[in-house]
Amino acid sequence: METMAEITKKSIEHLAKLARLEFTDAETDKFVVDLGNILNYFKELEAVDTSGVAPMTGGTSARNVFREDSPLVETFADQKEIIAGFPEEERGYNKIPPVF
Amino acid sequence: MTNCHCDLPAGRQGQAPRNDGYTFMDFAHLTIKKFHAGLLAGEFRALDVIQQFFRYIDERDVEIGAYLTLLRDEAGRQAEEVDIAIAKGEKIGMLAGVPFAIKDNMLIAGGRTTAGSKILENYTATYDATVIKKLRRAGAVFLGKTNQDEFAMGSSTENSAYQKTRNPADVTRVPGGSSGGSAASVAAHMALGALGSDTGGSIRQPAAFCGVVGLKPTYGAVSRNGLIAMASSLDQIGPFAKTVEDAATIFSVIAGRDDYDATSVDHAYGDELLNPDLAKIKNLTVGIPSEYFVDGLEPEVRKGVEIAIEKIKSLGLKVKPISLPHSKYALSCYYIIMPAEVSSNLARFDGIRFSPVEGVTRDGSNLLEIYKKSKSKGFGAEAKRRIVLGTFVLSSGYYDAYYAKAQKVRALIKKDFDEAFKEVDVMLTPTTPTRAFKFGEKTADPLAMYLSDVLTIPANLAGLPALSLPVINETNKHKPTELPVGFQLIGKHFHEADILGLGQFYERL
Repeated sequence: METMAEITKKSIEHLAKLARLEFTDAETDKFVVDLGNILNYFKELEAVDTSGVAPMTGGTSARNVFREDSPLVETFADQKEIIAGFPEEERGYNKIPPVF
Repeated sequence: MTNCHCDLPAGRQGQAPRNDGYTFMDFAHLTIKKFHAGLLAGEFRALDVIQQFFRYIDERDVEIGAYLTLLRDEAGRQAEEVDIAIAKGEKIGMLAGVPFAIKDNMLIAGGRTTAGSKILENYTATYDATVIKKLRRAGAVFLGKTNQDEFAMGSSTENSAYQKTRNPADVTRVPGGSSGGSAASVAAHMALGALGSDTGGSIRQPAAFCGVVGLKPTYGAVSRNGLIAMASSLDQIGPFAKTVEDAATIFSVIAGRDDYDATSVDHAYGDELLNPDLAKIKNLTVGIPSEYFVDGLEPEVRKGVEIAIEKIKSLGLKVKPISLPHSKYALSCYYIIMPAEVSSNLARFDGIRFSPVEGVTRDGSNLLEIYKKSKSKGFGAEAKRRIVLGTFVLSSGYYDAYYAKAQKVRALIKKDFDEAFKEVDVMLTPTTPTRAFKFGEKTADPLAMYLSDVLTIPANLAGLPALSLPVINETNKHKPTELPVGFQLIGKHFHEADILGLGQFYERL
């Protein structure tokens, strides 16, 4: 593989940040070991000759499935129920804390 | 249920209805086909059967732990509607009144839907999944929602945030996963049919472990609208049943294109899905891929599959060795592509959109802090592990080495199948390397757990239909509690009729 990775405590902390997660020290230590082992297992893929192979980018070869650009209202019959699921709501809006 | 062994607040509603002179033993032998015949002959009412199923669940599920939520009131109403229709002389379908269990990652409007995760502990579905709509239209009765590994990530149902599910064939062992609750509910006679989802084996592996039938349909055959997504290029919904014939019936009802799932396809499945023609099935050639008979294959599994192959030969089918050389890379390929999709799909669970996460205070927090607190408290260890792994393989500098490479290997795995299917019509393999394992046996080592899906993953990567069915031998025919062995039939794209047809003739032997 072009770039084999070394998984360190620092890289787990960086990935956690990207994924909006927070780990305890114990979790971080466990993930360093787990990801290291898993990535080590992936090394077997280096042996596969994939030159000239087009990637399979999904589960189907269907392309460009279009529909009319209008709302499909059948599913969301009751907006109230969706709003009721929000943790905080004000006048029918999903209320969120400040971004900064 | 007298003593709920989980800490769910809103799960089980009301009390079991009154007994009407039946006992559960009158119904334990039922299949969907027998139930339908009994209903039409007036031997019982749908409501009688549903009430007995709830009584039995109240007793049996204390030990098994298949259900997370029971839907007593709604189920009773659904059954009554079926009885009224029959009394009026209306024509009813094969699934009318049939007691079903539904994996808890599928939405039933107005019902709690957790996907086995704490992050959705308080989430109430606002609409019916397309498969639920279709079953509802067919008159099916939903008894409840079943336990699963969190967001369908696992092979033992031990990753559920709520409870253990025990294998009905041996309660010291796992039922498999991730659809362990659905498999166990059918195996323990607590439902006549069930729905599960299968991303890398999550229907077939628990079906094999519990000794029931499980079908993963062709990618695109069944709409995923209303299924909480795990890995969108791999996920499929499919049935569990006691017989292949019942599984075919359920599949015929839930299949079809849907406006709400752009990957779904309208394929015209003919009458042979439900009424297979033995003369045609006999003409199929069965391929045995050598790569599936791996070193770690448990001797009992190998022996069971050999028995199944002999039985298939006795039906008159030709059996032929084949090779799928890239299969050995399927596990690595899958554990790059799947987490990548997981890291994207699970990003929506952030404590803002669906329901608050217990113990996360919002006061004085900014948006980022709420995300972090909700995700870190709401997701379990396996979900976090896969989000981190998926974030890694997609991250700058590593994308080509991992994600792009895996997509190319996936193309090669599919090509192997395409080539082999020029020579054979169906493939026969073991479903799992081992029979059901013990609790805790693989929880410490994620790789050991992942390996239990090594024989089911290739069909997902290639988008092929695959069926797991129990090996029938002279011993377990009379001793159904023996630890089950499953074998797998893999078919060509949209050729469910081949594997279901062969399975139906096999089970009649």
